[in-house]
Amino acid sequence: MPENQVNPINPYDRARDAGRSATGKPEEAALLARVIKGDQDAMVAIYDRYAPMIYSVALRVLKDPGEAEDIVQEILVQVWQNPASFVSERGSFGAWLVVVARNRSIDRLRRRKPSESVDEVVLPATTNLANEAERSIMLEKVRQVLVGLPTEQQKSLELAFFEGLTHTEIAAKTGDPLGTVKTRIRMALTSLRKAMQS
Amino acid sequence: MNGAQHIPEEDLALYAMQALSPEETRAVQAHLDVCPACRQAVSEALGDLALVGASVELQPLPQGARERFMQRIGADSNLATSSDRSTRPAHSEATVTAMPRRSLFGTIGWLAAAAALFFAAWLANQDHNLRQQLNAQRWQVTQLAAKADRAQDLMDALTSRSAQRVTLTEGKQTAKPAGHATYLPSRGALIFTATNMRPLPSNKTYELWLIPANGTGPVPAGLFRPDATGSASVVLPALPQGVPAKAFGITIENAVGSTTPTLPIILSGS
Repeated sequence: MPENQVNPINPYDRARDAGRSATGKPEEAALLARVIKGDQDAMVAIYDRYAPMIYSVALRVLKDPGEAEDIVQEILVQVWQNPASFVSERGSFGAWLVVVARNRSIDRLRRRKPSESVDEVVLPATTNLANEAERSIMLEKVRQVLVGLPTEQQKSLELAFFEGLTHTEIAAKTGDPLGTVKTRIRMALTSLRKAMQS
Repeated sequence: MNGAQHIPEEDLALYAMQALSPEETRAVQAHLDVCPACRQAVSEALGDLALVGASVELQPLPQGARERFMQRIGADSNLATSSDRSTRPAHSEATVTAMPRRSLFGTIGWLAAAAALFFAAWLANQDHNLRQQLNAQRWQVTQLAAKADRAQDLMDALTSRSAQRVTLTEGKQTAKPAGHATYLPSRGALIFTATNMRPLPSNKTYELWLIPANGTGPVPAGLFRPDATGSASVVLPALPQGVPAKAFGITIENAVGSTTPTLPIILSGS
């Protein structure tokens, strides 16, 4: 059977396999290597690839196009100024950008100082967001999983992730016990991980 | 194990989302500093969260955003290649040494300036809060508009004359007149579709009836005339809320309809 007839469409698993993640990562590393040398064209290529995603996450949280654009600039200028730290230290570059976009947006929403501790955690290469085709298949699956979650789990995850509420605030808002809120969020993420691995 | 208990998975997920209190965050951070297993768990939770984040619908960037970014990194590059920052005079020192001895008026001036600054900060805070409220409301309006569009699509699909309606049957059976009612008593919401209905003379109409479960008289639930293919629908007719149905029935009435059904009931279902 020709290789292209094998059913390989599980981007999540494919991306987990660093040895086979030839769809995006090496190219990404090459771009970052050029950025280290001060190549503005490479930085613009990274911008073109990731800015819409960063912007969309920031806009979802902040609901303000101007502020969301600020987040895009802030993060990608950071990459431009210090690209060396992204080459191998952060794991999945695209996933890191999404997480940082969300965190910076929540910081801005809640008017608190940017917190670096979580930004600095290395992400596993489980989420290859560099390749557009695989990304769209994978994210469609993620959307289906999220929509299929029980309403309470969806709500808790939404409040924590996109509105930046603490578990205490979520419990106060929903009237649920703290432990229930924690469990719902964990179960939502567990369901997502299982579904993506299946 | 590092001689310490691991952090529960729930708390690691919350930590990854920065959804713990400052005290809890510090405690988790202290543990992570010495526990590779929990660091790995946080890392995996962040991977999951990245998927949640990336699943948002992609929005187009504002016009000119790319150019603004290019200008920014261009300016940054120029700055990096320009003269050494350390050769610039220390601004704060120069300011201090040049400052004249304070007089009473000078002190009042500084106090006034401080008050003005405080007022400006308060105004900025108010402005920020109002902008956030406005943006939140805009977002709600956008969401409501999207829901309204969706509802309108649903209505159009159910009621438009140009909608295609097909009755599926087993084999090559001749399709018979049939009606399908979906009813939510608590809201008095009814959606009824009929297929293969026979044509009527112009002075007649079909009338749908709700037969209440409590034994009271039939409630008129809408008039309809089938199109050329025999299809018709009644969507959300005016019905009282909280009336459970025992059955639905269809009669043929004069074109203006009736308040009581005229026998025979040509289609019914319970």
